[in-house]
Amino acid sequence: MNEQIILKIENLSKKFGSNQVLKNVCLEVAKGDIYGILGLSGAGKSTLVRCINGLEQFDEGTIAFNGEVVNFDRNYRRQVAMIFQQFNLLDQRTVLKNVMLASELFGEKHCQNKAMQLLKLVGLEDKVDAYPSQLSGGQRQRVAIARALMSDPQVLLCDEATSALDPETTNQILNLLLQLNRELGLTIIMISHQMNVIEQICNKVAIIDQAQIVESGNAQDIFLFPKTDISKRIIYSGHINTKVDNSKFVKLIFNGEIDTPIVANIIQDCNIALSIIYADSKVVNGRIYGQLILTMPADSRDATKLCKYLQLKQIHFEEVVASELQ
Amino acid sequence: MNFNDILTMVLETLGMVSISGALAYLVGLPLGILLNVTSQKGLKPCKWLNFVLSLVVNVLRSIPCLIVVVLLMPAVRALLGRGTGEWYTIIIPLFVTSFGFVARMVEQSLAEVDKGKIEAVQSLGGTDFQIITKVLLPEARSSLVGGLAVTLVSILGYTSFAYNIAAGGLISGIWRFYSQNTGDYLSDPVFWVMIVIVILLVQLIQELGLAISKKLDKRRILE
Repeated sequence: MNEQIILKIENLSKKFGSNQVLKNVCLEVAKGDIYGILGLSGAGKSTLVRCINGLEQFDEGTIAFNGEVVNFDRNYRRQVAMIFQQFNLLDQRTVLKNVMLASELFGEKHCQNKAMQLLKLVGLEDKVDAYPSQLSGGQRQRVAIARALMSDPQVLLCDEATSALDPETTNQILNLLLQLNRELGLTIIMISHQMNVIEQICNKVAIIDQAQIVESGNAQDIFLFPKTDISKRIIYSGHINTKVDNSKFVKLIFNGEIDTPIVANIIQDCNIALSIIYADSKVVNGRIYGQLILTMPADSRDATKLCKYLQLKQIHFEEVVASELQ
Repeated sequence: MNFNDILTMVLETLGMVSISGALAYLVGLPLGILLNVTSQKGLKPCKWLNFVLSLVVNVLRSIPCLIVVVLLMPAVRALLGRGTGEWYTIIIPLFVTSFGFVARMVEQSLAEVDKGKIEAVQSLGGTDFQIITKVLLPEARSSLVGGLAVTLVSILGYTSFAYNIAAGGLISGIWRFYSQNTGDYLSDPVFWVMIVIVILLVQLIQELGLAISKKLDKRRILE
């Protein structure tokens, strides 16, 4: 597949005083990607997206957009729109006026029809004359999305766009973003500290820690086989107790080929008791992808039995110890 | 002192307050915007300009109004043909004494606008000038109107100094009434009528300002 690189970031570095917030960051985003950037608070991910559209300046490195090094003029900014955690709508303007602002700034008239269409697209056609204070958080973010789309951007940057929303509203916004990606071919770069948000819609992922990108690639690969400690910590956070030092686990990988109730089958067929430590799966095109981490039976005969059984059923698995997961 | 005299004094006072208030905003509003924009957290931080403007504003605000009246008397005479004795001779001192105050109020109001909104509009391609006209001023409008009411009330108080240059107006009228009736002014209803009018004027400005400010604020919409 010939991917067209829409955004290429090379060796981006930035310091705030003596504090290095970005260090040699490289990132390639292809057209149509939903690229997730995951990191803990303070890792530098917010600064990275802000550098992409020029809200923040950087010390070294280059950013190229469609092959050309960008100069961050206002026409470039229109191509790379942004939505924010706090929505940042203008409170003293109606919903419609907020959306039209994006065109107003460029002296474009007769943009009301387009604004109405976009508000319809985000499902707010009945709120055009409301003020932001009359809307819920999810509705405000929809207005912000409509506003961002007003300039027909090629890239949409999402800076913790769902972090202020409840889980259900988060899902609705993520589904909307996915819909925009598919219907408009919009490339999306989203940063979040919430792994489930990134996992839900991103096809590519970069993990950023202490100002550097430590891992990047296909979302599936990174979530199933995290290599670095920080990635493991983010992915398994809260699920695996750090105290369980050397306990042995078995990690089952679902790569879309398993369609049987696997845990129930193991218990039934092998007659051994198991605890589930971590489970994470999603259904893509009717196939199950994800992983399941179980405790290895303490009895060595049971453990052998389990491994043999998994081999027999051709289930991809690996033995791991707790310390490897953190 | 009859009804017509009082009406004339009220009109003089309204004239002084509105004209000097308008002039104060003509200078104070741009100055306040400039103070906000050049401040450290502003759109275009500029240390020296901010320092100079702040200094001018601070010095102006430190000179008591009565001294400003005295200092400016020759200038007023040169400009308007006379330095004392008419209602309009107090306007320039009132304006000079209040535009620094206006500038600070405007600066404060604009500083209340959330930085996130500014960034959002920058990310949409807004220029600095557009940020001022489409974000800072409209988003702060409710606070700006509140500040306008405070300014007008404070200028109304400063019209007292019109007495010192015989420029008339309601407040100096009250003092004049006292000085002409030192024995029994407190028992004369005319004295109290004038005071009630002053109170009503202040209340009117304040309440009107508050009402407009509330009406303009779409962050809290009263159904």
